[in-house]
Amino acid sequence: MSIATERPNPPEADPAAAAGPPRERQRFSGSGPLRQIQVLSGRSLRALREPALVLPGVLEPILMLTVFSQVFRSVSQAQSFPAGVSYIDYLLPAFLITSAVSAGLKSGVALTTELNNGIISRFKSMPIHTGTILIGRSVADTVLNAVNMVVMLVAGALVFGFDPEGGILGSLGALLVAVVLGWSLGWVFMALSAWLRKPEAMQPVGGMVNMVLLFASNAFVPTDGLPSWLRAFAEVNPMSHAITAARSLALGEPRPGTVLMTLGICTVMVAVIAPLAIRNFRKAS
Amino acid sequence: MIDVSHISKRFGSMTALDDISLTVPRGSVLGLLGHNGAGKTTLVSILSTLSRPTSGRARVAGLDVVTRGEQVRRLIGLTGQYAAVDETLPGRHNLILIARLLGATRAEAAARADELLALFDLTDAGHRNAKNYSGGMRRRLDLAASLVGRPEVIFLDEPTTGLDPAARRQLWEIVERLVKDGTTVLLTTQYLEEADYLADSITVLAAGRIIASGTAAELKERVGRRSVSVTLRRAEDRARTVEALRRAALAPSHEEDGLLLTIPVADSTDVAVVVRAVDEAGTDIAGLAFSEPTLDDVYMALNHPTTTDSEAGTSS
Ligand SMILES: Nc1ncnc2c1ncn2[C@@H]1O[C@H](COP(=O)(O)OP(=O)(O)O)[C@@H](O)[C@H]1O
Ligand SMILES: [Mg+2]
Repeated sequence: MSIATERPNPPEADPAAAAGPPRERQRFSGSGPLRQIQVLSGRSLRALREPALVLPGVLEPILMLTVFSQVFRSVSQAQSFPAGVSYIDYLLPAFLITSAVSAGLKSGVALTTELNNGIISRFKSMPIHTGTILIGRSVADTVLNAVNMVVMLVAGALVFGFDPEGGILGSLGALLVAVVLGWSLGWVFMALSAWLRKPEAMQPVGGMVNMVLLFASNAFVPTDGLPSWLRAFAEVNPMSHAITAARSLALGEPRPGTVLMTLGICTVMVAVIAPLAIRNFRKAS
Repeated sequence: MIDVSHISKRFGSMTALDDISLTVPRGSVLGLLGHNGAGKTTLVSILSTLSRPTSGRARVAGLDVVTRGEQVRRLIGLTGQYAAVDETLPGRHNLILIARLLGATRAEAAARADELLALFDLTDAGHRNAKNYSGGMRRRLDLAASLVGRPEVIFLDEPTTGLDPAARRQLWEIVERLVKDGTTVLLTTQYLEEADYLADSITVLAAGRIIASGTAAELKERVGRRSVSVTLRRAEDRARTVEALRRAALAPSHEEDGLLLTIPVADSTDVAVVVRAVDEAGTDIAGLAFSEPTLDDVYMALNHPTTTDSEAGTSS
């Protein structure tokens, strides 16, 4: 194109050129949302190739599993505990769910970090859809979460004697529930992050939400054993539903109603919260 | 190319920008000079569509940054105040990532990344993770990332703050090359020297207001010239030294009984003249230094209170 060869006039004498179309430059054509999601999630998933970044995520739950299986073994002697179920079989499905919550929290905290180190500003100043930054992160974190959970199940079976009635199929069902919960909580925490922005705000608020979800639930002990006011909350906590669903699948007494309800709640949560998160995230300050 | 008209930006009751107007012709460099808290980043954020002005209009290539943000983003490159690189990725992958997001194929993206790595002297470091880069390398990678899409306009927010002199030089040379390619540059800095070296025109910002604008030469005219300071060992030498300097057509000044002589000079080559005069007078000196005017001198010359603290800089 002939226009490309023309040198700009000295700036002072350039009114005509300034009003005209930009000088021709070799430019990339722009990308669609799917490509953006693929590239952005690929960016986060590269971490999978670096052991230093993956190991903590894998070791932490295994360590926790060790501690819990030792410390809480006595619970299985408690009256309210289901008869004939080994504690590890009871514990591991719940563990999948609690690590899903931690994974969700990690998504939010990681987003806050990037919001403040300039990389998000770079993406936002580029011609891409802002929402794909969050969707890409959600995809990557969900995949990472699933990988971590597979590792937990395998470690549970090999090291801790996890061998539930539901077998492999039931365990995978529990894993699916956990992955879906992690996906939806990831959006909850990313929405919090997009709203709070600052790590100083995100750390305590995220930690608190995490805490409430975890401990006011039937994750570690049956709710029957809780004081009545705490039990009331534990029973409406979506975590409790997810745990009941995952447990029922793993222990070979599937409760389709609870499973569907959990998946339904998670999907509705994402449908409502994701657009809010994206809108908050996109908003120019 | 950049046209800012009566832009103001308030954060609650705090006014970060107050009625800013400026233009940057295509292919030229504007240096936005100001201390911490002057409002430089706020203006860059508005121009790069990351933030909205409270009032006023700004256009890039004739496109309003608020209503035509999408199109503006196709034309600009932003190098923020804090190097925005993905530390978990090697430098080369950072560039490939950006190119892919801009629509390049894998092959195109790799080619563009290698081209920029070579240009920025990062070829050898390209395969190392960015978290192991030095400050200068990180800045270079960051600048390279903002050039992947061959932007028409580039915003550089304090590109050399915190760099050692060699790394600063290197960055300056890169910016000069960009300008030769016809890129329009808006650069913010706290260093008068940097704005002087790179910018065609300079706008001085203080507490959200423009307090001066013009070419570097015009600004330095107002600020006063560079100076050499000579510290004497003995007060008895003073009269003799002043005499010798005057004979060399210089105009030294000093405090009543001070040992410090300040001699305004045109440029650094005059240091030799000063040295010769002092030598001729046979004066024993304790120190001699050449100093460029600093941003503080600019503020002082423009009768503007100097603040280096971003908190203190907020009041207006
Ligand atoms: N998001 C914000 N909320 C409140 N005040 C802000 C915000 N961003 C900047 N400021 C204030 O605006 C003023 C100008 O800031 P900034 O543009 O970052 O200055 P500079 O880049 O020149 O150091 C500062 O006083 C800063 O505290
Ligand atoms: Mg700044």
